Formats: sequence, structure tokens, C-alpha cells
Amino acid sequence: MTSSGRRGATGVVFAASAVLFAAQAYATQAIADQQPDLSKLSIEELGDVQVTSVSKRPEALGQAASSIYVITHDEIARSGQTRIPEILRLAPNLEVYQVGASQYVITARGFSGAQQAQNFSNKLLVMIDGRSVYTPLYSGVYWDMQDVPVQDIERIEVISGPGATLWGANAVNGVINIITRKSSDTQGAYAEASAGNLESRIALRYGGKLSDTLSYRVYAQAYRDGDTQTAGGASSQDRWSQAQGGFRLDWTPSPADLLTLQGDAESGEEAQVQAPAERVDGENLTARWTHSGTDGSTLQLQTYFDRSVRGGEVDGSGFSVNTFDVELQRGFSLGDRNAVLWGGGFRSSRYVIDGTPTLQFAPQNGVLTLGDAFAQDTLTLTRALKLTLGVKVEDDPYAGVSVLPDIRVSWMVGDHATVWAAVSQAVRSPTPFDRDVVEYLGPQRFLIGGPDFETEKLTAYEAGTRLQPSSRLSLSVSAFYNVYDDLRSIELAPAGFLPLQWGNGMDGRTYGFEAWGELELTSWWRLSPSMTYLQEKFTFKPGSSGLLGTPEAADDPKYQASLKSSMDIGKTWGRAWLLDLQLRYVSDLPDPHVPSYVELNGRLAWSLSDRLTLALTGRNLLHERHVEYEQGAYIPRSVLAVIQCRF
Amino acid sequence: MPLLGRRLRQLVLGALLGTVAAHVCAAPASAAPSLEYAVKANYLYKFAPFVEWPPRLFAQPTTPLSICVVGEDPFGGALDDAVRGQTFNGRPIIVRRLAAVEPGSPCNVLFVNRPTGQSPAEALKAVAGEPVLTVTDGGRGGDVGIIQFVMEDGHVRFDIDEAAARASGLSISSKLLSLAVSHRRTGA
Repeated sequence: MTSSGRRGATGVVFAASAVLFAAQAYATQAIADQQPDLSKLSIEELGDVQVTSVSKRPEALGQAASSIYVITHDEIARSGQTRIPEILRLAPNLEVYQVGASQYVITARGFSGAQQAQNFSNKLLVMIDGRSVYTPLYSGVYWDMQDVPVQDIERIEVISGPGATLWGANAVNGVINIITRKSSDTQGAYAEASAGNLESRIALRYGGKLSDTLSYRVYAQAYRDGDTQTAGGASSQDRWSQAQGGFRLDWTPSPADLLTLQGDAESGEEAQVQAPAERVDGENLTARWTHSGTDGSTLQLQTYFDRSVRGGEVDGSGFSVNTFDVELQRGFSLGDRNAVLWGGGFRSSRYVIDGTPTLQFAPQNGVLTLGDAFAQDTLTLTRALKLTLGVKVEDDPYAGVSVLPDIRVSWMVGDHATVWAAVSQAVRSPTPFDRDVVEYLGPQRFLIGGPDFETEKLTAYEAGTRLQPSSRLSLSVSAFYNVYDDLRSIELAPAGFLPLQWGNGMDGRTYGFEAWGELELTSWWRLSPSMTYLQEKFTFKPGSSGLLGTPEAADDPKYQASLKSSMDIGKTWGRAWLLDLQLRYVSDLPDPHVPSYVELNGRLAWSLSDRLTLALTGRNLLHERHVEYEQGAYIPRSVLAVIQCRF
Repeated sequence: MPLLGRRLRQLVLGALLGTVAAHVCAAPASAAPSLEYAVKANYLYKFAPFVEWPPRLFAQPTTPLSICVVGEDPFGGALDDAVRGQTFNGRPIIVRRLAAVEPGSPCNVLFVNRPTGQSPAEALKAVAGEPVLTVTDGGRGGDVGIIQFVMEDGHVRFDIDEAAARASGLSISSKLLSLAVSHRRTGA
């Protein structure tokens, strides 16, 4: 299996190189004549040059008709957090639970899951530089396999609410889009080492140029995290370590073209109670060509290969997933008022699952194919009023074709306010876990996948506003009303009781709001408060077993609140000390009950020179230990000393 | 632990190699900038004719128009390319790169981008009240200059703070104001 995987990876490298060369040949041919001489353009014409690399969200953040929070590079660096799940706590529109040393549950707008019903958080789309990283096996995310070198992250876009039309499959309750810097923006050498009571980390990066138009970076990092605790105070024996390396190559044969080749490889080991460690390995390679025409048109072609392998060494259980994906996006203007974006993609995931005596899949291997096509038109009705109409057709491996419409409107009220509203649909497609799982209780089949399990469906109604009443104050408020249909439930065997099977016996209504703001008190002190409110109501459909009651759907806090403080202390007399704190409150989880908690993360940093920074980082400082999730580990306080060098 | 110890040793070795490589490969090469920054670079000198500058600034017919970049230079040569061969009312245009600005820094147009020695707000404050056309890129809060680049539908556009311009003794032409995405007449 391993050697065939390697052959596969090599094949993809060759294929990607071929695509790259073909794209480059086409690009140089097509662009040679169109290269604009900007100096000849008038100041009006300059404003008409389309410059963004293709993103599915080209509008300014202030005008986006969705609940979006952007975690900037600066915010990440100042927080001192080095793992993606901990960084995601900075986004006010997410729920983040640490469950074990390496294990996290992350969701938006509810549906954190319920362990006793084997309902795992599975309604989020997560992407790293355009590569989808939720697993096609159950639609959840293995957060311990998604490390990114934090010093190279440009920003993380966090969208709560559906984004299915444009962003891709599984964007039901939210989208997390992690974007790393171009290698031309990460030049030079960087080294970081840290050690603390719970964890230690080392990270290295070097960025250079091979020519005026070709830049690169390479990085390597290793990480080690200690045990969390059980309720009784004993070690949970879940310590883990991970090493990862990768590269990114950016080539700009012309100012209108960017060709990127990037890849990562990671390998980790996670301790388990009374069992040998679980191994987690991943490799990926992405090739992308982005072209911006002088007429404002955009073109992006991307392909990637991603391989994830997990396994315990003792019983041979585990899985491997090899995913190949190709997608195309095209954007252009139609007249003065229409900005059209269309595209499509194809993804194939070949998987092999080695079950345990109690958890098996039938079949245990297969190929999941996912195809989609989308089109969107943004209609500028007036300078202030924009209407976006979109539709996506998605063909998933089990349930067939879904048509997902999306309507969004945004209105700029004067210079300092935007109001937006949206109605959209999204689905979570069936996975092998929904359709093919077979669980045993002794010799008895206990739970099987639902042979007729359908997509879980969402129709979402959203509205929000963003305000900037003064240059020192900004606010964002979003409200939502979500209508879910065909949610997964546990049903009885058609004749009798066992085996139980997955069905679509539940409906749901959730509503709530997310609000956050940023207040610049002085030139050296910024405060960012936030709050979320969530209500969830689930009902079983007639004929459903209702076996575990509605708590099998979700177990979420009604309220979350956070206060971030960012200070540059002593700016007037030389180099400032940077002090960043985030206090967070999560109200209790209702059923199963997990108590509410308040915790504090922080970082104090001092730059000795432009090259050398010393910092102290703390996580969960308020309590010796606390628990965040049902049956979750008790997480000890963590304090870390960090040294960062640039040269 | 032994596993990590071994990894650490390997990585330290890697760091040393990286350092050597950094010094060997340190020859500065200007990167091809993105189209976005090429456009912004062209804006920087094309703003100047739409500003009414105090006459004392350009007393001599050969006094150049000075465009300063404080902090990291995101243009990667695009600014030098943009101004090459260009003139402002027959005057040469020069580009200066500064780590920090202070009152009296010889700048007519000042592009503020993550200064290393001071915060953007401090850089802006240092030239407040002086006839300097400050330009910022995606700044927030108090980090916004007289002109602020904004991205709109993939185009580089700009906001103008007319009140701040007036406070600096600059008068912005109505043509430039009409091109701005938004402009503020009174201080916020």
C-alpha cells in the first residue's frame, strides 16, 4: 500500500509539472501582447485594472454579504498561538473545544456533535491554500493533521453560515479558509524555538529567490505536546509529537500571471492508553495558475493531490485516503453592471479502511467521486446596492445531484455602514460512515450505515450589518435562522430492534447571532469584544425511533463571549513590549452537561532588535486545569518561553 | 523524548545551514511585484498633479517630487520602474526608502507600510500638519493616511480623507475626490 502510494505521489508530481509547463506556455503566449504599460494609463484607467488573484470573494471585506471574520497575520503572530485550532479561537464566530492533547472539535453555529450518538462535528468546509482538508470518510476534520507554519500564514478567513454555492462541498455551517503568504513575502531565514511545562516546538524557514520572477521558501518544524489529565487527575496518556516540512514556489512570468507549486509532508505519533501510539501521516502537493486579464477577467486553474494515513500499530486498524482534485474558475465583467464568476471541479478520493473487530466498513475500500459546477452573477444595481445570485450543482458519491441556490444582497448606507441579507441552501453529503459502517457488539451487528441515508439539508436565512461609526470603532452583527431537514438519526432495524441504522429522522431549527467589534482606545491599546448567542430546537419526524432523544444532534453552549486586548506598552521610549490577552467565556453545554468556563490566553513579547524577539506565551492561565467537552480531557495550564530570530 | 531530542539536533543543524545559505544567497534581487502593487506604485506618482501643494515646497524648478516608502517595501522594484522617466510638472521624481519618518523628513508623498522602528500611526503622526500626502494600504483605525488604498471588486481604488488633507495644508482637486470610493469632509 505504501509503495503504491509513493508511486501515486510521484505520478502526481509529474502530472503537476506537466500542467505547470503547459499553463506557462499558454500564459506567456497569451499575455505577451496584453501586458499593460501602466504608466500610460490615466488615473481613472488605473482604477479599472483588475488586480486580485482569483478569489471567490473579490469584494472588499466591508461589503461582503456574509458573516466573515478575518484573522490577520498580525493577530496570529501577536496571539503567540502556533496550532491552527488554538488560532481559530481568535475568530468570534466559531466554537472551539479541546478534547484531548491533539484532539479538537470545531464548528460554527452549533452542531458540535454528541459522542454517545457517534455524531461528530461534520458541517464545516476547511481549506488550506485552496486544498479541502475535511475527510471524505465522515465529513469531519482531523485537526491534528492540519498544521501550517504559522509564521507564513497571510490570513484565515472564517465565514459562519453556508457558503456552498461558491466555496465547495460541505460548506454547511461555515467555511475556514487558511491562506499562506506568497514565497516572495517570506524571504530570508526565520527560526523559532519554544519550550514550556507542556509543550515544545521548533520551526525553521528559509525563503529565497532563484531569479527575479521565481521565489521559494522551505520550512521544517517539529512539535511535542504533553499529556492532558483524566477527571481523577491521572495522565490521559495522549501526549503526541509531530514533524512537518514543506515548500512553496511562486513564479510570476508576467505581472498578470502567478504559478504556484506547494507541498507539505507531516508525520506524527500520538500516544494512546494501554496501546502503542497511533501514527498519523500526510502529504500533499498543489499546483495553481492564476491569470488576471487587463479587461478585468480572471482565470484560476488548480490541481492538488492529498494523502492522509492514520493507523494503530497493534490491531492494524486505520485508514488511508488519497485525494486528487482539479478545479477551474473564471471571472469576467458583462457590461458595466454584471460581474460573472463560473467554474467547476472534480475530486476523486480513493480510500482503504482497516477496521477493528467492533468497527468495520462494508465495503472497506472504494473511490468517492465528487463533481460540481457553479455560476454566480453580482449585479451592481446602484453604486451602493449589490445583488448576488448564484447556483451550484453538486454530484456527490452516494445521493446524486443537489441544486444549491444562493441569493445575497448588500447595501452600503452612507460611508460608514453596510447592511446585508442572504438566503441560501447547503447540504452535507453522505459518507462511508453514514452508508457503510458496521459496528459489532460481540458477535451481534449493533449499528449499520443507512442504505438509504440521504443528504442533510439546510436552508439558511441570514442578515447582518457592519458599522464603522468612527475611525477608531468598528462593529459587525450577524443574525441567522437555519432550517435543517433530514438530519441524521439512529433508527431501529426495519424488522425488530438490532442492528440499529442511520436514518434521516430529524428536523432542526437554529437561530442566533454573532457580534464583534474593535475599539482603538489609544494608539497603543486596542480592545475587541465579541459575543455569540445560539438556540437549537430539534424534532423527530413521524416514524423516527427517537431513540437517544434530540440531544443526539448537538450539544452547544447558548452563549460564548470573548474579550481581546492588544497593547504596545512603552512605545514612546523605544521598542514596545507587546501584551496580548484573550479572555473567553463559554456557557455550559446542556446535555450531556459540561460546566461553563472562563479562560485566558496571552502573550508578552519583547523585541531586542529587528532580528530577535523573546516572548512568554500562556494558554488557559486562569485554572490549573479545565474541561471543554463531553468526556473531554482535563486540559492543564500551559506556559511557554519563545525565542524568535530573523536573519 | 529521545525522538524529539534527535529531531532537535537535526533541526539545529538545519538552522546553521540555513544561516550560511542566507549569507551566501543574500544578493538582493528585486521580485516581480504583483499587478496590484504595480498599479499602486503608478498611483503614487499620479496622485501628485491632483494636489495643490504649498508653493514653497517646489521653490526651485529642479526640486524633485520625493516619494517615500516607510517600512517594508511591498513594491519590489515596481515603484522605481513606475517613476523611471516620469516627471512631475517637469521635475524629476525620486523614491526614498525609510525605516522611520520624523517631522521634517524630505517627503512629498509618503507611503506607510509596516515601519520597523515605529507603528503606522506614529509614522502618520510624525508628519501630521506637514504638507505630506500620506498614503496607506489597508490600514485600520488610526492607521489611515490622507489617501487609503482599498480593493473593490478586484480593482485598486482609494478613499480620501479631505479633512486630513486640509489639516496638512494640502488641497485635493475635485477630480481626484470624484474618483475616490468615499471621501470624508469632516474629521471623524
